[in-house]
Amino acid sequence: MPELRETLEIRDLAFRYPGADRHALNGVSLNAEHGQILGLLGPNGAGKTTLISHLSGLLPVQQGHISIGGRPLSGIRRATPTRIAVAPQEYAFYPMLTVTENLECFASAGRLGGARKQQRIAECIAFTQLERFARTRAENLSGGLKRRLNLSIALLPEPEFILLDEPTVGVDPQSRAFLLDAVKTLASNGAAIIYTSHYMEEIEAIADRVVIIDDGKVLREGALEELLGSGAAQVHLGVDGLDSAVLNELLAGFGTAVAAGKDWLVTMAAGKSPASLLAALEQAGGRIRFADFGRSNLEQIFMSLTRHSLRD
Amino acid sequence: MLLALIKKELLALMRDVHGLAALFLMPAVFIIIMSLALKDVYDPPVKMLPYAIENRDSGKLADTLIAEWEKNHGKAEGSEDWSGSVKSGKLSYALVIEKGFSGALMDDKMDSQTRLRLVTDPGLESGIFAANKAELVMIASEMRARALLIASHMATGVPRGRSATTPAVGEEPSVSAQGIVEAERLAAGARPSAVQQNVPAWLVFGMFFVVASLSNLFLQERQCGALARLASLGVPVSMMIWSKALPYLAINGLQAALMLAVGVWLMPVLGGDALSLAGINWGALLFILLAVSTAAIGLALALASLVRTQAQAATMGPVVNILMAAIGGVMVPKFVMPEAMQRVAEFSPMNWGLEGMLAVLLRGSDMGDVLLPSAKLMGFAMLMMAIAVLLFRRRVS
Repeated sequence: MPELRETLEIRDLAFRYPGADRHALNGVSLNAEHGQILGLLGPNGAGKTTLISHLSGLLPVQQGHISIGGRPLSGIRRATPTRIAVAPQEYAFYPMLTVTENLECFASAGRLGGARKQQRIAECIAFTQLERFARTRAENLSGGLKRRLNLSIALLPEPEFILLDEPTVGVDPQSRAFLLDAVKTLASNGAAIIYTSHYMEEIEAIADRVVIIDDGKVLREGALEELLGSGAAQVHLGVDGLDSAVLNELLAGFGTAVAAGKDWLVTMAAGKSPASLLAALEQAGGRIRFADFGRSNLEQIFMSLTRHSLRD
Repeated sequence: MLLALIKKELLALMRDVHGLAALFLMPAVFIIIMSLALKDVYDPPVKMLPYAIENRDSGKLADTLIAEWEKNHGKAEGSEDWSGSVKSGKLSYALVIEKGFSGALMDDKMDSQTRLRLVTDPGLESGIFAANKAELVMIASEMRARALLIASHMATGVPRGRSATTPAVGEEPSVSAQGIVEAERLAAGARPSAVQQNVPAWLVFGMFFVVASLSNLFLQERQCGALARLASLGVPVSMMIWSKALPYLAINGLQAALMLAVGVWLMPVLGGDALSLAGINWGALLFILLAVSTAAIGLALALASLVRTQAQAATMGPVVNILMAAIGGVMVPKFVMPEAMQRVAEFSPMNWGLEGMLAVLLRGSDMGDVLLPSAKLMGFAMLMMAIAVLLFRRRVS
């Protein structure tokens, strides 16, 4: 990994597809730092793929700018396109070629040659533990192995910035754990990683920072801990012996109450404590069957920010 | 880098069994089946072909012959200086009425000197050649019979001072004009046969079939994101296109070698006529083959960039090919088509390739004669390449 420690900066990026009536990206700003994993979250159609296409050089910047170390991405891509690598969501390789043949093809496309090329192929095969499948045609690999080959190809030119677009879709828990460990290793070796996923627990497990986007806009951006810490406290309750209208009125005094079947979810208002809520319930004659207390997880934050409506 | 990409292309191609079968087996099977099927039953159509008449005889019977011929075959398109047009195939044949034709027809004892010549395009179908010669002999014989009859009536009706010449049994003058009619093909070239016609036709067709193979693989690459990945690695579009074009140029070369070998060696073994390559201009053959190949690859790249789904890729290529073949004289010989369709055929790149190949294989044409069809094919190739590059950029992103 080259010892460059430049930051990838995206500032006020806006993009509208020809003929579209709204922006796919609208004023997006974020940073990707070396040694860190940036979790990029967003529902379908939020603009993640458009953002990744910009970073891969497949879409031109219409508005705003993308730079690395203060220099425009377009110039850097022209001079050294392999500083940024993408492992797309699709199996972006040739199914009729073997693992090694695929790696040879993409290594040459990435301008690797001679002994260096062979060395990188061997290293990438080893890193993704594909040694036993080196001569297997890609079309005959399992889903997990295909994901590993997809990652392996992305790593060939030793990129500084790695974009992983849902790299664990359709793989078993073992392969997922392996891939997550591999990604963490890459970051600890100094790469800057942008990781998109719909699996919130994955992002919680590996991301240093998180960006949540929807409708082409950044809704929340910050360190994972910061984001989780900002979530309001919630109490999940099961109460018998009180009329639901009475219960609703009582709970509303402590925050926002939402009925969830026979149970209730109360997002506590500032300054209110769970202990006072439980005491008030008992005083009103309610019998508490159960009470869970905790702060919001990433999924709850994501859902509250992006709302619950289904997307395209 | 280019070598690695070419290697990828070849590996992908070698593992596409159906694509390879379409590229090699399909044209070979077509050549064998069509050549054998048409060997003996090629039925010459009664048609108006472009022709010329050169009349060197001043007798009235020459004019009568011309009138009779034009009644069935339309007006002649040329008179003198027909040689170049017939050799190049622009005119199918010329009738040359030699001096003394009228006299010979009326002569009781017709000599065997040729008085009426049918000179044809070297590539004229054997059936049409024979039919035209037979018709010419028949018309001349009828005219001779009429002339002799009139002479006989005149002899029996008027002969004061002259005795009517009633020939003795066995001495009647022959009415057949066969002896004075000769038919020949202009210039040296291979004898037209089913295989001599079919090999160029189906070879051109087969070479254009790279469309199906190339567009399938291209679509696969595009859909799985491999092309986008190559682009993100900084591989220029021009290199991606070259990495596709060059292997298929080699494939077209192999197809040509295989199809010619089938014609030369396999057809005689199967009881058909052998393809003759004796005396052909190899430079001209290679040049027209190269032009056909560039046109085929250009079209393949343009269509590959145009299609959006596997279904389109699977159907569009073959359909375009078959249509071009049908109108271009590959499936149905151009000379049996109606006049309007013959004009349409001239817009089919397959027809340009076919005409160029036939010129070399049937008429013994040299480089100069294949320049025009080759230029048309290469112009078409450049247009298709330009479309491919424009669409390719859009598809990759």
